[in-house]
Amino acid sequence: MKAKHWMLPGLAAIAAFALPATVPLAAQQTTGQKAGNFALTDMNGRTVRLSDFKGKTVVLEWHNPGCPFVKKHYDSGNMQKTQAAAVAGGAVWLTINSGAPGKQGHMAPAEARSLFAEQKLRSTNYLLDPKGVVGKGYGAKTTPHLYVIDPQGTLVYQGGIDDKPTANVADIASARNHVTAALGELKAGRPVSQAETRPYGCSVKYPEVA
Amino acid sequence: MVRLLLALLTAALLAPVASAQLAPAGERHIAIDLVAESDRPAPGSEVTLALVSKPDAGWHGYWKNPGDAGIETTLAWTLPAGVTAGPLEYPVPHRLLIGGLMNYVYQGPFTQFVTLGIPAGLAPGTALPIKVRADYLVCTNEICVPETRELETRLTVGDGAIDPARRADFDRWRAAMPKPLGSPARYAVADGMFRIAIPWPADAAAADPYFFPLAASGPSFSAPQTVRRAGDLLILETSAQGAGPPRIEGVLSVGDGNGFALTAMPGAVPAGDAPQTAGFDVALALTAFAGAVLGGLLLNIMPCVFPILSLKALSLARAGEDAGAARAEGLAYTAGAILACAALGGVLLLLRAGGEAVGWAFQLTDPRIILVLLLLVTAIALNLAGVFELPAPGAVNRLSARGSGGAFATGALAAFVATPCTGPFMGAALGTALVLPWWAAMLVFAGLGLGLALPFLAIGLSPALRRRLPRPGPWMERFRHILSVPMFLTALALAWVLGRQAGVDGMTLGLAAALLLALALWWTGSRQTRGSSRAWVPGAAAGALALAAIVLVERAPADAAPRVAALGAQPFTEATLARMQGEGRPVFAYFTADWCVTCKVNEKTAIETAAVAEAFKSGGVQVLVGDWTDGNPELGRFIEKHNRAGVPLYLWYAPGSATPQVLPQLLTTSMLTRLPAPQAAAVGG
Repeated sequence: MKAKHWMLPGLAAIAAFALPATVPLAAQQTTGQKAGNFALTDMNGRTVRLSDFKGKTVVLEWHNPGCPFVKKHYDSGNMQKTQAAAVAGGAVWLTINSGAPGKQGHMAPAEARSLFAEQKLRSTNYLLDPKGVVGKGYGAKTTPHLYVIDPQGTLVYQGGIDDKPTANVADIASARNHVTAALGELKAGRPVSQAETRPYGCSVKYPEVA
Repeated sequence: MVRLLLALLTAALLAPVASAQLAPAGERHIAIDLVAESDRPAPGSEVTLALVSKPDAGWHGYWKNPGDAGIETTLAWTLPAGVTAGPLEYPVPHRLLIGGLMNYVYQGPFTQFVTLGIPAGLAPGTALPIKVRADYLVCTNEICVPETRELETRLTVGDGAIDPARRADFDRWRAAMPKPLGSPARYAVADGMFRIAIPWPADAAAADPYFFPLAASGPSFSAPQTVRRAGDLLILETSAQGAGPPRIEGVLSVGDGNGFALTAMPGAVPAGDAPQTAGFDVALALTAFAGAVLGGLLLNIMPCVFPILSLKALSLARAGEDAGAARAEGLAYTAGAILACAALGGVLLLLRAGGEAVGWAFQLTDPRIILVLLLLVTAIALNLAGVFELPAPGAVNRLSARGSGGAFATGALAAFVATPCTGPFMGAALGTALVLPWWAAMLVFAGLGLGLALPFLAIGLSPALRRRLPRPGPWMERFRHILSVPMFLTALALAWVLGRQAGVDGMTLGLAAALLLALALWWTGSRQTRGSSRAWVPGAAAGALALAAIVLVERAPADAAPRVAALGAQPFTEATLARMQGEGRPVFAYFTADWCVTCKVNEKTAIETAAVAEAFKSGGVQVLVGDWTDGNPELGRFIEKHNRAGVPLYLWYAPGSATPQVLPQLLTTSMLTRLPAPQAAAVGG
């Protein structure tokens, strides 16, 4: 009853992402097609629509402050740095929380505001999606899970923040930051070379009874 | 004395400190042991290392493909020169759907393997320190914690000897690993659907088959998989997630933790037959259906059903030669019996699906239902005895009334009260039903209802049969009164069951409710004879009051000390059984419940007789009793293993025989006294 021989675990993820164009991943939004519009309430109680940012590159980031994989990128400052660079390059960065009330990471607007200040988020805005409607509409599965939408409204990237699916801060330095790479390629007028990757992290804490 | 007090005081003061120290801040949620199959591997050989993991309650670890979220386990080895470590091998995972996202996990203890290669040419006695850093994720349904831990073990080059106890452990862990399927599968992605054809023998069972993909692309993780058969292929279909890579590896799970590792290439996938939820055998389903019909037929002679049937037959006899009305009544009664059986079966299947360990007659483990039945049976008995007459309106009240509505209700009632009288054929048929697809199982339940209704249906449909019924006359009234006797006895049995379940208080309450109802019905009856237009007012009021007793009935706490019957019997546990078998003793194990009339009859007429006691004593037979009255899930599982969906179940374990002989559900003294005979002969010879 000798079991099958899988790839070496440590190499598996790297091998998967090293394949050209990688393995496409399913989502509710199709890469290369128009990203679905949505309206959400932000941490200040205002309604924010994706269509408000027509003509600009938009990054969507799914967030859960309690998730260790999110902490990996915030405690190290990696996510803030990526946000700052994106915003400096003219992009809009929307951090979205789809945690259901009562579940880990769910935040009321006031909590979101103080977390935004404390952790020095550099994103354009923090949006609340407690019913998970937008999260499910985009097929967001993990925190973090990232999406890049070009100025024409086309979804050009969806997947993980980088290619090292671990909770270890030390892995950030050697990882390929998919979002930074996609934004750079977009700016240079080139197609996004890795348009879909496998996101990693905690599951998005959607309400039960899906 | 002072010293003792001081010691106690010190202990009391120190205890909280000690327990605080036991829970450090960095507490881990999976305990992992690194165990080698052989601590003294031979040079030039391979040795299997096991990572034996035990997640805390409520926590789960992840499969290689964690599903929609999570990460796989990574290992970083520190090995002596020349020693190699193979990939991490995972046991068959489980599915855990949280908030619409699929997780492929282990919710209980699980063991992963790694094969180490030991280089040739090492001198015996060479120390091989093995170190590994494991990074893995452990989650509850709410939160996730990535954990890291260093594990080490020390091997010494030797002869490769394996300790028997450790071999047994590894045997157990290996059993949880997927077995290689051997032949490749094919898959196709079209119109948003992923379909995979997996070679699987047409006559092999597969309970709740599910394909766990290792690839991130191909099948959706969270969408349900439908199952079809096409000859020797198992075809699973689900939503697609991407176009699929050139080859998809994965594990097919077929229930009971059994799984098969396979590889699928793109290729043609046949359509397959109608979707199934489980492996299925037409012949088996038909046999079970026939068994169910026969079992249902036999139920008619049970004390709890016979009066109802006789009553209906009488009412038909009263109907005389009106063929149309007789046919309508027969059909309505049949429909009532079938629907009630199907409804009970449906609830049983639903509870099964929900993971409850239930068997046939499960509804009779609730004292409130027993109370309702007690009141109902009391009322029927009083009606049969002629204390009062039934008017036209009311559903169940129209028991003896003519018309198809009343006949329907009677059929349903007959099916409902017949369930405790699990006939000899029913247990096997229902046991089969539970492993069949739901629709086939429902067919079996319906068959039971059909069997139950068959005699009355025959009377209803055949004028010839009706003509053979005795002519109506004054004798009928007397016959009806006589029929009240078994009905009163049924009420008595129900009162006893109520007492077992709800204690003396519950039984007294039930009897008081029955008495109240009886007095009210008597009053109703006397008003009826006076021709009062509102004869039913007191009866209805008291009936409602009696039913209100339901709220007061509560299940009494289970007896702390398990019941030990005669014959020096011990309570059944699998451990006791194993011990007795280990001692080479013959074992007679029987499974009973207080609500099971057949069980009680067998116990009184066969098991607890002097002849059997004598035979068992001289044969050195150990009797084990499993009391399933309160629906103990462990017993439920054991009973189900022997393909029965309920009690009675009688098992005979001859000395040295691991598999039992399943005895018929109707026992005789001679059947039991013969059991130890071969043993006695062996001793004598």
